Amino acid sequence: MITTTEDPATDLLAATIVVIGGEADLLRVRSTVRAYAGQAGLGLTATTRVVTACSELARNILRYATGGQGVATIGEAAAGHSRGVQVVFTDGGPGIADLDLALRSGFSTAGGLGLGLPGSRRLVDEFAIDSAPEGGTRVAICQWRR
Amino acid sequence: MADDTVVITEDLDSYYLQMMDSITDYAVIRLDSAGTVRSWHAGAQRLTQYTATEIIGRPVALFSTMADVATGLAEANLRAAALSGRQETEGWRLRKDGTQFWASVVLTAVRNRAEQVVGFGMVVRDLTALREQSLTLRGLEQLVNSIADFEVIRFDCDGLVRSWNPGAQKLTGYASEEVIGHHISMFYTEDDARSDLLDREMASADRDGSVEAEGWRIRKDGTRFWANIVLSPIRDDHHNVVGYVKVARDLTERREQDQLVQQQRDEILELSTPVIQVWDKVLILPLIGTLNSARAARLTESLLQRIAADQAEVVILDISGVPGIDSGVAQHLLETAEAARLMGTASILSGVRPDTAQSMVHLGIELGDLHSRASLKDALQLALRLVEARSGSGDGVRA
Amino acid sequence: MRMGHDLLVTLQGDLDDVRVESVERLVTSEVARTHARGALIDVSGLDVVDSFVAQILVRLVRMVGLLGTDMAIVGIRPAVAITLVELGVNMQDVTTALDAQQGMARLRRMRADSTAGIDHDHHY
Repeated sequence: MITTTEDPATDLLAATIVVIGGEADLLRVRSTVRAYAGQAGLGLTATTRVVTACSELARNILRYATGGQGVATIGEAAAGHSRGVQVVFTDGGPGIADLDLALRSGFSTAGGLGLGLPGSRRLVDEFAIDSAPEGGTRVAICQWRR
Repeated sequence: MADDTVVITEDLDSYYLQMMDSITDYAVIRLDSAGTVRSWHAGAQRLTQYTATEIIGRPVALFSTMADVATGLAEANLRAAALSGRQETEGWRLRKDGTQFWASVVLTAVRNRAEQVVGFGMVVRDLTALREQSLTLRGLEQLVNSIADFEVIRFDCDGLVRSWNPGAQKLTGYASEEVIGHHISMFYTEDDARSDLLDREMASADRDGSVEAEGWRIRKDGTRFWANIVLSPIRDDHHNVVGYVKVARDLTERREQDQLVQQQRDEILELSTPVIQVWDKVLILPLIGTLNSARAARLTESLLQRIAADQAEVVILDISGVPGIDSGVAQHLLETAEAARLMGTASILSGVRPDTAQSMVHLGIELGDLHSRASLKDALQLALRLVEARSGSGDGVRA
Repeated sequence: MRMGHDLLVTLQGDLDDVRVESVERLVTSEVARTHARGALIDVSGLDVVDSFVAQILVRLVRMVGLLGTDMAIVGIRPAVAITLVELGVNMQDVTTALDAQQGMARLRRMRADSTAGIDHDHHY
């Protein structure tokens, strides 16, 4: 676990980086997100939703990224008087060939519930995804205190 | 060396003539004792269009209107002037081309040493424009006085009230003699009076042409009213501000209504306890108004927390207060019901109107396991049955 | 833990893939061994249930059902319930109850109904 105080790519106030390589890291992602959510003053439901979404996205990395490796950058977000949690998932995996399809509800690749992207998107206030074949994937999400 | 105290005029007649010619806005005419015109000048010509040759030797009645000729007004005026020495009148007079002008006429009797009237001096002034103005003003004044529901008053640059109207009296309870000459802050609350509210309002009015504001004002009896005020500056011909016009009305009632509506809206959106526990284990969530995603999410959250707290087994989602069921609203309802089901709670949709039922079927909305009833009463009956079915065991009640 | 004919499984803390799969194995073998008529999975200790865990639960219900045992999930927290619905996880075939007590009553009803030959359409 690495802690930094600035991340130019995501304009975070403070950030924690979790390298995702195994199941244990999944738990670390969840607890870190939960901690930042608490700091930002998110309520129980908002926290549960963002932690769940992060769990989904972190699992995607474990399942589909090359070598099951990726990085989650978790931190506090601020905009004006708003406070929130921002998490960016990046991996160097195979990428998603058809983003539109993946974002459509009910889409499934490796069986089960697919990438869980539509579901994750519904759970958070802001959701942005960047992916290209063989170019890796970057998912940035943000959850604000209501 | 020039001595200014002694002026010697060499040519009295030419001096007099030049003086007369310089008067262009007035007609200064000499009449004889019979009222015949004996002198003329440029100003008189300008006013009446007659040249000297056309008018000298003619009677002054030539300037009278037809109606005044019939009544012998000119002669009457002369007699009056002869009697009292001076007579001032205003009235319509005729020009050479027959057009009328509103004239101010001052007749002065000229006497000889024996006190006999030997002639008249007549000064005529064209007051047409001024008359127009004063008529307009009077019209406006009457208009203002007919307005009983609005305060329309004038105050000067020092803030002293200069005019009053029935509307102002109705609004504040003060009669005009109680306010004219007093400072306008007499209607202000203490705070406003202290804070130079008037200066700020006057400055805004000067800058922007008018200013609209709302605030509390005080009546004669000490009670408050919420006033909507518009202040406009009155400017003279040099564009200087010489006073202000204030139009005000009482919006107390409107303000109270607005506040009530806002309060009701807040209460409706107040989400701490939208859920009603009607019986042990039965909750009702009355949905009122439109249901967007954010609202649906908040309501669902509250509902589920109440289910946990009250250990409810049945929840009734009452939609009688929801204006229209479209696919989006139906989706929210179904999701709420499913979330409740995950906590072991059965849901019943109530308040389904015939048109709602129609549009739902047309839209292809499937309720799945969600029960549906037209009236709250029916929903409550079903709720009771479901609760009994759970507490009893195995009497095979099919929900 | 046995409750007469019923089995109660309590899940706590964050489940990772390994633990979940071992839970699956454990439950199915216990159900078979004890001939339990019913089983409850108490998830009230779970703050977060993502689609993976939800899937496990659904599969568990099906597996155990194949063994002839009724299973109910109990103790889904409000925030978790909302999240599961928004995630779009299909839990339609899963019987649920508020807590273990209500869960047991539910299992009893399901057993009584099936004895009386009544089919369950509604998993309340």
